[in-house]
Amino acid sequence: MDWELIGESWPVLVAAIPETLVLAISSLAIGFVLAIGIAVLRLSDNRLAWAAAYGYVYVFRSTPLLVQIFLIYYGSGQFRPFFEDIGLWYFLRDPWFCAITALTLNTAAYASEIIRGGIQSVPWGQLEAARACGMSGLLLFRRIIFPIAIRQALPGYGNEIILMVKATSLASTITILEVTGEAKKIIAATWSPVEVFIIAGAIYLAINFAVTRIVQWAEVRLSPQLYRDRPSWFARLTGAGADTAGRSPAISDQLH
Amino acid sequence: MDQPAAALVAEDIHKSFGLLAVLKGISMVAHDGDVISIIGSSGSGKSTFLRCVNFLETPDRGRIVVGGEEIRLKAGRNGRTMAADRAQIDRLRSRLGMVFQSFNLWSHMTVLHNVMEGPVHVLKLPKAEARDKALALLEDVGIAEKHDAYPAELSGGQQQRVAIARALCMDPQVLLFDEPTSALDPELVGEVLVVMRDLAEAGRTMIVVTHEMGFAREVSNETIFLHNGRVEEQAPPAELFGNPKSERCRQFLASSL
Repeated sequence: MDWELIGESWPVLVAAIPETLVLAISSLAIGFVLAIGIAVLRLSDNRLAWAAAYGYVYVFRSTPLLVQIFLIYYGSGQFRPFFEDIGLWYFLRDPWFCAITALTLNTAAYASEIIRGGIQSVPWGQLEAARACGMSGLLLFRRIIFPIAIRQALPGYGNEIILMVKATSLASTITILEVTGEAKKIIAATWSPVEVFIIAGAIYLAINFAVTRIVQWAEVRLSPQLYRDRPSWFARLTGAGADTAGRSPAISDQLH
Repeated sequence: MDQPAAALVAEDIHKSFGLLAVLKGISMVAHDGDVISIIGSSGSGKSTFLRCVNFLETPDRGRIVVGGEEIRLKAGRNGRTMAADRAQIDRLRSRLGMVFQSFNLWSHMTVLHNVMEGPVHVLKLPKAEARDKALALLEDVGIAEKHDAYPAELSGGQQQRVAIARALCMDPQVLLFDEPTSALDPELVGEVLVVMRDLAEAGRTMIVVTHEMGFAREVSNETIFLHNGRVEEQAPPAELFGNPKSERCRQFLASSL
């Protein structure tokens, strides 16, 4: 193990964390908004809207992200005159734009399925109660459907966030120097993949540790009724310590 | 004709699900202050009728008039009627408070926010005002101390009392109750009936689908017995319970008292 190399390379890789975060956060943010729209289309009675959303999700979930990145970055070059005509070439020649586009389209497809599941799990009676007091359309979605759906979807969406943080490493294949890109650059010069990739791996581990904590915090924040003065899920599953010992709101305790 | 418009008129309501005709022409008029109980065996159409009144089910035929305003209908697909104006439906629904058999409180909101939700977001009442009003109503139904709890933390009887406060907070012209005590443990039924009795005494206009014969008999001023989607008998409770005219009504009362 080359400790000197480790000492020299970790500051370089840590300095690349912002690039990784920019890729992850921007694609997750835009992708989430798209995903809500796609999920709504997927649940629509309109056959055309349903088919469009279904086709989109099918294509982006069933092809490798790497292929999508390559198609957008290298593929657009083949149609350069066309994209120049419609004024998009300025964006498509930029690897950052291509990487964020591919990551966004990809996460939108996965997240839309997660959100659709959440929306479909909203209890019918709660919807009727909202309609019965005069809510409909966007108000109903914003105040009742979405808040309940997102609580259901959060554990699954936390998974998607973690997958996306890791997927940003694929941007290194189109010249972007985020954490993995910097690692590959150092390895090309030093021929020491083990040391450098261990650091890179540790950085992803640290980022995703933070992600899991934030998601956990959000779960407790959004559904306090599940964590307040109730036996932990483990206690409820096992029936162990049903009274005083079981009444440990395990997750919320850790957060205080 | 200077009589004020009836709070609610339902005229010749028909509804079928597939080939099954559930309602075969039901009419009803509720004036302000009326407490009308709708009784009948299960499958007689009482819940469906109540749900047609605020268009949670769209009647196939018939007229609904709320406080003098008729719900506009148009012919939809396969010849059935549908609401012509969604905004009108929303507005009229906000004037008909509905209490469900299974409470249907919004699980992601505290008790207080459940009660404030409609007034703030549908009626656009200022938050502070809605909050005061909600707390006062929670006080009335005897559950103010739980205003910060979530529905999952309450018993069925407590949830139903919150649901009643939620309906009241909209200042509805008519309150619709869809078997409000049927999902409750027997020992919790009483606390909900007490609240409903208070509302009736306070002069609220109520239409109550119920299996609680005691409530129908003592609290309401009109009783409707439904059988097979038709009004089989309609009379003040003393008459209907004391001297039922139809044979079916007599049988039903004999089996449920």
